[in-house]
Amino acid sequence: MLEALCEQVSVGRGVMRLVRDDITLLDVDAFVYYGRHDLQLGSGFGGAISVRGGRAIQEELDKLAPVETCQVVVTGAGNLKARFIIHAVGPRFNEPETESKLRTTVHRALEAAEAKGVRRIALPPMGAGFYAVPLELCARVMVEVIAAHLRGGTQIEEVTICVVDRREFEAFARQLDGLQPQEPSDR
Amino acid sequence: MSKRKEQSHRVKVVLQRLREKMNRQMAGSLVACVHCGMCTDSCHYVLANPDDPTYAPAYKADKIRKLFKRHLDWTGRVFPWWVKAEGIYSDEDLEELKDTVFGKCTNCRRCSLNCPMGVDMATFNRMARGLLVSVGIMPEGVAVVSKDQWEIGNQMGVLKEDYLETLEWMSEELRDELGDPQFTIPVDRTDCEIVYAINPREVKYDPRTIADAAKIFYLTGENWTMPSDCWDMTNFGLFSGDDELGGAVARRLYEKVIELRGKKLVMSECGHGYRSTRCEAPNWAQFDVPFEMESSVITMLRYISEGRIRVDKTRNTEPVTFHDSCNNARSCGMFEEPRELLKLVVTDFREMYPNRAENFCCTGGGGAMSMSEYTPRRLKSARIKAEQLRATGAKIVATSCHNCVDGLTDLIRHYELDMEVTQLVNLVANAVIVEKKVAVPAAGPPKPAPLAGKTILVADDEPDQVAWLSTLFADHGAKVVEACDGDQALELARTHKPDLLTLDLAMPGKSAGEVFELIRREPQLADLKVCVISGRPELRKTIYDRSVKPPEGYLDKPVTEERVLRSVRKVLELAHDDGK
Repeated sequence: MLEALCEQVSVGRGVMRLVRDDITLLDVDAFVYYGRHDLQLGSGFGGAISVRGGRAIQEELDKLAPVETCQVVVTGAGNLKARFIIHAVGPRFNEPETESKLRTTVHRALEAAEAKGVRRIALPPMGAGFYAVPLELCARVMVEVIAAHLRGGTQIEEVTICVVDRREFEAFARQLDGLQPQEPSDR
Repeated sequence: MSKRKEQSHRVKVVLQRLREKMNRQMAGSLVACVHCGMCTDSCHYVLANPDDPTYAPAYKADKIRKLFKRHLDWTGRVFPWWVKAEGIYSDEDLEELKDTVFGKCTNCRRCSLNCPMGVDMATFNRMARGLLVSVGIMPEGVAVVSKDQWEIGNQMGVLKEDYLETLEWMSEELRDELGDPQFTIPVDRTDCEIVYAINPREVKYDPRTIADAAKIFYLTGENWTMPSDCWDMTNFGLFSGDDELGGAVARRLYEKVIELRGKKLVMSECGHGYRSTRCEAPNWAQFDVPFEMESSVITMLRYISEGRIRVDKTRNTEPVTFHDSCNNARSCGMFEEPRELLKLVVTDFREMYPNRAENFCCTGGGGAMSMSEYTPRRLKSARIKAEQLRATGAKIVATSCHNCVDGLTDLIRHYELDMEVTQLVNLVANAVIVEKKVAVPAAGPPKPAPLAGKTILVADDEPDQVAWLSTLFADHGAKVVEACDGDQALELARTHKPDLLTLDLAMPGKSAGEVFELIRREPQLADLKVCVISGRPELRKTIYDRSVKPPEGYLDKPVTEERVLRSVRKVLELAHDDGK
């Protein structure tokens, strides 16, 4: 078993959690998959979604493809525990304006979750790893955008950042440590 | 005055990273070449393409050298025409570079051995791969494998449940073989002498190697374990040139061994995994590794030398030769241990020439097996290796690397050599003496044939293979239906509704990949299990890259009766011969 790595902070009226786990197996309302422009699930988490979730997910995606960078689409999650998968197509491979595009993509993923009435959502380190978004940049942008969202008017109660190893965990933990707990704002 | 050419964004990123990546070792190699041509005859690509100068190591190196000269070295700024300094500007230029660094070199390092100036071609070829990967320019197969390793934690995307199920399956197989109903492969035990990490290919295509290693550990009474996660000792970062991937992957494994408080990490037979994990990755990960690391070849040799297991070499009487993996041998200096081990477990060992550091690449190295677009080039260059193998007269070629197993299997089929590929662990496990506790079975009614009541569709275009498989399945009680091409396989699957389809990947008519996907997408065939039986490992991606549930089983040709029956029983989830 993975050594338990878990951290949690209150932000606004919600909670931001950091866990090391398999995002496709989490018991949440929705999770984010960092997808491709052609919306083919492909390998990595996409392979796990295909195998564990069933073919209905790809069939749904085929009707929505292709999409532009920063666009987000939502599908069902097939046989997975989650109800929805939010397919977010963010910046990749050191393309221009990576930070602002990532900021927009994370924000739109959260908005798409709101539109579906999601209360518990999980996100991976978006774009870090294979797509070469620098891990520190990814952690900073994601924590900033999620925290701002939780401090605003939202129905999301819990945001889980789900990482795969200690290296990613430490990068996000540093950002969470820098978050100042704040009182919930008036809605 | 001529207008200055504009660089694309990707080119700018590549050149920026080139500056960041450049170190003394690479700069030394880039400035030292005197174009003497000594490297030329050492490259298997050149030997197989003598009329094509674009395969010459010095030519390939110049593709990278011209950038270094143009952008980093003062000579290129002062007299670029003299030192052949040239810039790159467009994404097409990067694509052309990709073709050279991924498609015309396996990073085998044989040319470096013959270079009087000590130019290490593979080091900067790998760096160039990494520069391209950072802007998303790479062969599709490299992208697929890298993403799997980043996100799932192993380079074949093996899910945790499949890994653990395979360990349990191998445990079941061994309970009978060892005569110990309590036997189980230990997982996540703490404070063990050995933590054993493997290549995901073993789970996906060759689980017998896991069982063979487990058998050896059991017979020595070793205190060992396998991890439940972070168990992949391979590292695609070595091939893709992505140091960040290389460091992340290795760190996961290092931290797992520490978490389990293991005293030593033993790695199964994998050349690039061994080199990466033991030699390169502590630098990539900036990690001070606090435990010992060892190849299983050395572990097995030690067990025999110390008398912890006894072996009977007369169980391996076929002539055997040994193929040195480039990473194990040329890059890590492991020359003698595999030979010592082989001489203890086989009766007829035949050296291959040239060998050790001078051996030729299997042609599947450097990630080449994942880059199917270069397969024709790879197989053409494999002529050199095929000649080497043929000259030994051996029936078996043993190697200590899973990439080499695939590369050699592919070229043996292509050049029609009468040989099989195996690993040292298989030969040791076959030779090891098991003093088994024999359980006397109680008398009872005769057992039904193990495949009774099942219908199996055999799809293969080789009549001999169809006849062999059909007879094997029929002898074990199955009803057999035969198809000789893709269209017929699909039609018979619909009409006969078999329990299992054995699918060859290279058939005429509708391709095996199309047939597979159509079957997976057809609701009335939802229960049909598929076991791929193929001699074309490069075609795996035609099945596994499809966004449908992967096949339940996979076997590399050539196959034995035992391997086929074991896999088919597993796929059909049938009881084993002993009724368990």
